[in-house]
Amino acid sequence: MSNLGIEQFPDYQVPGVSHADFSPYESNGGSIVAIAGEDFVVIAADTRLSSGYNIHTRKQSKLFPLSNQTVLASTGCWCDTLSLTGLMKLRMQNYEHTHLKTMTTDAVAQMLSIIMYNRRFFPYYVSNILAGIDKDGKGVVFSYDPIGHCERATYRAGGTAGALLQPVLDNQIGYKNMNLHGEDAPEVTKERAVAVASDTFISAAERDIYTGDSVLINIITKDGIETQELQLRQD
Amino acid sequence: MALAEICKISNASYMKPTAWTSADANEDLKTFSCNLANPYTLAAPPFENPMLNLNQIQANSGKTGIKIDFDHGTTTLGFKYQGGVILAVDSRATGGQYIGSQTMKKIVEINDFLLGTLAGGAADCVYWDRVLSKECRLHELRNKERISVAAASKIMANIAHEYKGMGLSMGMMLAGYDKRGPGLYYVDSEGSRTPGNLFSVGSGSLFAYGVLDSGYRWDLQDKEAQDLGQRAIYHATFRDAYSGGIIRVYHMTPTGWINVSNTDCMELHYKFKSEKEAQ
Amino acid sequence: MSILAYNGGCVVAMRGKDCVAIATDHRFGVQAQTISTDFKKVFHIAPRMFLGLTGLQTDILTVRDRLMFRKNLYETRENREMAPKPFSAMLSSFLYEHRFGPYFIEPVVAGLDPKTLKPFVCNMDLIGCPNEPDDFVVAGTCAEQLYGMCETLWKPDLQPDQLFEVIAQSMMNAFDRDAMSGWGATVYIIEKDKITERSLKTRMD
Repeated sequence: MSNLGIEQFPDYQVPGVSHADFSPYESNGGSIVAIAGEDFVVIAADTRLSSGYNIHTRKQSKLFPLSNQTVLASTGCWCDTLSLTGLMKLRMQNYEHTHLKTMTTDAVAQMLSIIMYNRRFFPYYVSNILAGIDKDGKGVVFSYDPIGHCERATYRAGGTAGALLQPVLDNQIGYKNMNLHGEDAPEVTKERAVAVASDTFISAAERDIYTGDSVLINIITKDGIETQELQLRQD
Repeated sequence: MALAEICKISNASYMKPTAWTSADANEDLKTFSCNLANPYTLAAPPFENPMLNLNQIQANSGKTGIKIDFDHGTTTLGFKYQGGVILAVDSRATGGQYIGSQTMKKIVEINDFLLGTLAGGAADCVYWDRVLSKECRLHELRNKERISVAAASKIMANIAHEYKGMGLSMGMMLAGYDKRGPGLYYVDSEGSRTPGNLFSVGSGSLFAYGVLDSGYRWDLQDKEAQDLGQRAIYHATFRDAYSGGIIRVYHMTPTGWINVSNTDCMELHYKFKSEKEAQ
Repeated sequence: MSILAYNGGCVVAMRGKDCVAIATDHRFGVQAQTISTDFKKVFHIAPRMFLGLTGLQTDILTVRDRLMFRKNLYETRENREMAPKPFSAMLSSFLYEHRFGPYFIEPVVAGLDPKTLKPFVCNMDLIGCPNEPDDFVVAGTCAEQLYGMCETLWKPDLQPDQLFEVIAQSMMNAFDRDAMSGWGATVYIIEKDKITERSLKTRMD
């Protein structure tokens, strides 16, 4: 019967008996886009925080700078995001005090995977994307599933509008399905990365009710993090 | 506070007059990331039977909008022949129907003489393979010799057995070369572990078996064997919606593993098609 | 899994300047298994009108046949060609007749009005709630991906060749992120004096 998608219908109702499902999660919406280049990485997230049809705030940053070379963006269940990013910050500090150096982006990526897997049987309901500069000075993006499967990529979209944004990035950044006449795909510049990230968010805000208000864009280079803001639809 | 004493909650942070000393922070740090110190200790869920409850939350995703899909779906295969062991895998990771990645690495290089394939939950496989590679290295340091495939697969099976019934989802093959020659073991999250000459695991495995069984012989040449592995995965990617992307072929030889090829499915499809039309 | 995603597949239609385009994938599957790769979900039902149906394959064929019957009856009675707009109205009421036991399909209609030659696109849910926007409509298992692609690539007043490029890129990149659709695609461009059919070379996994 589950094939027909009707498993939610009850067989019959028993008077006086109510069954409460365990629902520890809430979806608070939000989307992320990250694009890596040769010596930079752009990571952007919208600033709407909502639940159901209500908007909690229009000004919530979903980008969490972990060091001046690494930014974690996280959406999903906001309480899980807060506890996870809080833990990450604590761990980063701890590492810095013990080893007297800042964690590299690759190390942060591995640690995040392990910390998320710790909650294998009661996962953090989050969609994480980690962006930063790796040990060779290259821009890099790591994306995660809810239980910490980590994959290194050069561009990635996540969150409620992830499915809308990802094919656009495949096309515009990855040059998928483009006839390049045997040439290599052109290298992505910082300006193009910012432009594509902004455009995709404008599109996503049209169709996804959980994405909108404004986009915060962080541009990470070896010199640190630069922040830009772009207004989106407010409805 | 006698009741608190009896219930042993007087040490809990919310029972203290001042919350959040630095000692508490340290304590929290240890608790919430305990598997950094000991990879075998995972946080216990606040409900019984995580396999049932987690599946329930996933099944209700249509109603609640809570889409907690893990990366899944695969075709992997491995077989022994006179020249060693061949492993071939696809590279697609799907969360529900959505293709999360087309470039996933489904062969984990545990060490120079040991490879693991992963099918089922991607996070489960990668995490425990990492633990396994640590154990294998420790074995080498303690015993001054490389671990056998049998022993390595036994470690994995023990882990799977420890967590049996908790909802882990793994179906892996371990391939290696040791004193006994080429080794190939199948280990899964139900705790089974079995050696064999030929396996295929994952959602597209039936399609791969069809091709594999018709072309398999013990005395295959290296090139033939590698091509057979590649072709079997290709046919699986064609028929199975949850397999695709890049086909990776690995060859385990007496001197360690070689990554033979990483070919895009699309390229192969049109190559095979033109070969067929030329005939 | 929803019954609408049981066989997989997707359709998209777009308006251009004095033309419309409609595209379909080729997959017919049963859940994860691909049965055939030459099942086009778009049907040529009038000289300048196409009907795309996604969802359960058996219902696609049934709905197509029953609609053809009604359309032919209309044309015999009225002795004139059926325009896309009345066709959509008919489709909508046909679907609503089955309000409590619906056909598991999501239809898309694309065409030019036979008299005014005005472009027309329309889609509906499975019980016939019509939507007639002036840009594009999508249906099928990768609707979200298609919305993302179309929203970015589409702009008003595209010429037929530009429209082909936009719809082809939208379709291919969208279903490359969906497990249940793909395996080839066909695009139809409808202009006032001709219809162009073009097959796309796509990924086959």
